[in-house]
Amino acid sequence: MNAIEINSLTKKFKKSVAIDNISLNVEEGEIFGFLGPNGAGKSTTMMILTTLLKPTSGNASVYGFDVVTNPSKVRKNIGFVQQEIGIDEYLTARENLQFQCKISQIPKEQIQKRIEEVLDLVELTEKQDDQSITFSGGMRKRLDIACGLIHRPKVLFLDEPTVGLDIQTRRKIWEYIRKIHKEFGMTIFVSTHYMEEADNLCDRVGIIDYGKIQIVDTPEYMKNKLETDLVTFSVMSNEIKKEQFIQKIKMIELIKNVKINENEIIIQSSNSTQIIPKIFQISSEIGINIDSFVLNKPTLDDVFISYTGRNLRDDTNGKFNKRKEFNQSRRRGL
Amino acid sequence: MIISDTYAIFWREMKRYRKSKSGVIIRLIQPAIWIVVMGNIFAGTQPLIQSVGFDGEYIEFMAPGVLILTAIFTSIFGGVNTLWDRRYGFMNKALTSPISRSSIALGKMLAISMIAAFQSSLILGMALALGVSMPHLWMIAPIMGIVILFSIGFSGISVMIAAAAKSQETFWGIINFLGMPLFLLSPALFPLELMPDWLASIAAFNPVSYTVILVREMMSGYVDSLSAITSIAVLGTFSIIMIGLASYVFTRDVNKPF
Repeated sequence: MNAIEINSLTKKFKKSVAIDNISLNVEEGEIFGFLGPNGAGKSTTMMILTTLLKPTSGNASVYGFDVVTNPSKVRKNIGFVQQEIGIDEYLTARENLQFQCKISQIPKEQIQKRIEEVLDLVELTEKQDDQSITFSGGMRKRLDIACGLIHRPKVLFLDEPTVGLDIQTRRKIWEYIRKIHKEFGMTIFVSTHYMEEADNLCDRVGIIDYGKIQIVDTPEYMKNKLETDLVTFSVMSNEIKKEQFIQKIKMIELIKNVKINENEIIIQSSNSTQIIPKIFQISSEIGINIDSFVLNKPTLDDVFISYTGRNLRDDTNGKFNKRKEFNQSRRRGL
Repeated sequence: MIISDTYAIFWREMKRYRKSKSGVIIRLIQPAIWIVVMGNIFAGTQPLIQSVGFDGEYIEFMAPGVLILTAIFTSIFGGVNTLWDRRYGFMNKALTSPISRSSIALGKMLAISMIAAFQSSLILGMALALGVSMPHLWMIAPIMGIVILFSIGFSGISVMIAAAAKSQETFWGIINFLGMPLFLLSPALFPLELMPDWLASIAAFNPVSYTVILVREMMSGYVDSLSAITSIAVLGTFSIIMIGLASYVFTRDVNKPF
């Protein structure tokens, strides 16, 4: 059974199409990443899946329950940690968790145990009676995540879980998410515009842009499909030997392209780990010296560029800025 | 189920209130000024008040009015955190949980009414300290019951407007437009009998009027049972309508994107 099923889902706002006929299945127990720039439609999709917005057309279901016709069943099975930190700053960490237990209708006798369990998980046990207004950004996010999972939802939705946090805190949050996943085995649906996050955390990634899903697959497969491992060798030798060397390299399978740049030989291949030993073999046969080599694996960044034709962080693109602005104005409630 | 769900929201609102000690004091400043300043400015109207049958000083006449003023403003402002909750995303926690939208609205309303009653009781204490006489002190309990009943209606108005308004500006604009006329178009500061007829007839439709008259009778110790029953019936109807309306509007509007 799929944890989440989305069929030709479309959401139109007054002046724009936020998501455009997307279809997607998320399997039970996986960490699924929804990757795209601001304004791509990630949050809108997530709000439909968490019953906060109604789609214009198409349908979506969580554990078989339709988000439009059966929202109360959906709400029983989900946890939602949104982008803005949704804790009550006047309450202590424990009180925030108590509130979450109450609204999640957890039996009274279990509340105490649950709270201790999640406090331990996000390492806030010592701070539990402090007002959360005194917490740092990372601690607030941890508390917010704890609130999202204390009722043990079958699907945990994390909307941009590390936005606005520093690198160390971000890594720490990833660690918690992995720990949660290991401990509870729930399905996690995480949206992000950070490549590293999708790459680090997710079993599968869907790239969304302009409201459309461009590709869904594992990060590894996407990167391999690009076939753009770049290996750069520095060699000191005469031209004849170099030419001989290159001719032999070109005959190796899996090699796509070879370029020379003075003393550097740049090799493009689909699987560099297999070709590097072969190249060293050839070099010793010919008697050519390799001083050093550098290997560049493709990143999810490269994947994103290849599917959307633009860089995820490219803010200079006029069209992109327009969308970003639009998205911000929509959040302000226009 | 709806009781425990409503209680969850109520519990959080009360926790929040208890933590804002400065808020408790700040909310008392305005009614305190009313009692001290207005009570003295209009002290000379005592003969007028007596001419319509109120046997006491002006400050004793207006103390119930200020008590209700406290209740009106505490409850009509009380819904504003609905806007904050939506703005900062706290509301989405409740909206994606199994509890119903109505119980969110109801929990907020009950908490606001409780807070309004508590604030009013502080003002009542202040009035007593300033020399307002009250023959039966045990009347304080039923008076608070009336204040809670009354405040549920007004907190309903507040929660409703907060859910429908998309911005703080809209909310405060509407609330300020509503609050003062509701207070002034009642016998809170001045007897209905001495108002021009057209104003008095408008005031007759104002639930504030019924509350003020009832609380004033309860404080002075002479309760006319027929008018008391009428007042309670009017207040009860008002509050029930507001509960229904507020949960309808709240449910409708929180389902729209903020």
